[in-house]
Amino acid sequence: MIITIASGKGGTGKTTIATNLAWAITHTQEAENKGTTWLIDCDVEEPNAALFIHPAFEKEKNVERLLPVINQDQCTGSGVCVDVCEYNALARAGGKTLFFKELCHACGSCVLNCPEGAIDETPEMIGLLQQGSRDSLRFAQGILEIGFSSPTPVIRDLKKWIIPQKIQSGSTYILDASPGTACPVVESFRGADFALLVTEPTPFGLHDLSLVAELIFKEFKISSGIVINKSGRGDEIIEQFASEKKIPILMRVPLSRDIAEAYARGTLLVEAFPQYKDQFIALHKKIGEMIRERQPKQ
Amino acid sequence: MHIAITLADITIIKEHTMHIAITLADNNGLESSISPVFGRCPFYMLIDPESKEFKIEENPAQSASGGAGVKASQWMIDNKASAVISGNLGPKAHDVLSSANIPAFKFQGGSIEETLKAYNDKELESFFEPNVDAHSGIQE
Repeated sequence: MIITIASGKGGTGKTTIATNLAWAITHTQEAENKGTTWLIDCDVEEPNAALFIHPAFEKEKNVERLLPVINQDQCTGSGVCVDVCEYNALARAGGKTLFFKELCHACGSCVLNCPEGAIDETPEMIGLLQQGSRDSLRFAQGILEIGFSSPTPVIRDLKKWIIPQKIQSGSTYILDASPGTACPVVESFRGADFALLVTEPTPFGLHDLSLVAELIFKEFKISSGIVINKSGRGDEIIEQFASEKKIPILMRVPLSRDIAEAYARGTLLVEAFPQYKDQFIALHKKIGEMIRERQPKQ
Repeated sequence: MHIAITLADITIIKEHTMHIAITLADNNGLESSISPVFGRCPFYMLIDPESKEFKIEENPAQSASGGAGVKASQWMIDNKASAVISGNLGPKAHDVLSSANIPAFKFQGGSIEETLKAYNDKELESFFEPNVDAHSGIQE
């Protein structure tokens, strides 16, 4: 199963839930001989799950994109590339075709449509993928190159590198998405079986939760559940939303200084407070049941 | 005796007219307010600074997801603007306009009338380099 963890708002505790869920279920999965647990940090702009997992990395892979190179001698100034570029990365000025790399999404339209075949492509590194493990937990992350503004291709390559076409039954892939509801989050949800939405009981938490819930409802039509982190005061606003939208609240992690201190030391909640381990295992089991209920009966 | 002027002749005459492009915040003819933003302003005026003949068109780049400055500059080229007057000009727009040898001048406040007078009197400061960072038009 593939579980993507998102929140809309940043700082609600996606990584806390993702890392603890992954670590809590790893040994159970292994003991029951049910396949592998993977934690994939898809927040490639600032991956931080490794700070809590402390994995040993074994393999690396570059992520490249193909940028157009305009052969000015062959260019006849048809302006076709300028017209087909959705991102306004090309302009025709003073008898030359100008290219703005920062605007380019490397879609290749200009190359395909140039009537003179005057555009070549050249690879450019835009990110790095890493994979490794801690004990039997497998871990992977993507790191967007500094100065680049489109994380989506890095996330796409990361998923392609780690998640096989056919997933071994019993294996769990936990994807820690970035904040927001834009392309990187959409990419992190693509192919997922379940949306685990982590929120905090504040108006901001609720507002952005409602955005990400709408994204799931409209675009993915997969089951979802809510985790209230920093729970204790103001939970009612989340409860009301959850009951209106019929999204179950699956777990609550209280607002507590002890938990915050453990987090600040880079310690997992399930290590600092072992009583949470069973709660995360139960969360995983519940998610599995919800995915199975959703699947059409054979 | 009458002289026949064909449509082609008219086009030629028009092409020879100077067209100054001015960034507009609204569409109010010669009373429109000049916009400080280049790539994402709602309208452009193309005006002959001598005869004051003008037309106002919607800026196709106003809500571009990215590259509004580039797209707006391409519009200036395609519409044969001979000069641009704008409050700000970003780095990419500056690149495109200068490659096309279209001079850009800084709007210094006031009405269209006053701005055109300042342009005709060569009192407008030229943008020899961009004065704002990329994406500045988004914040306006």
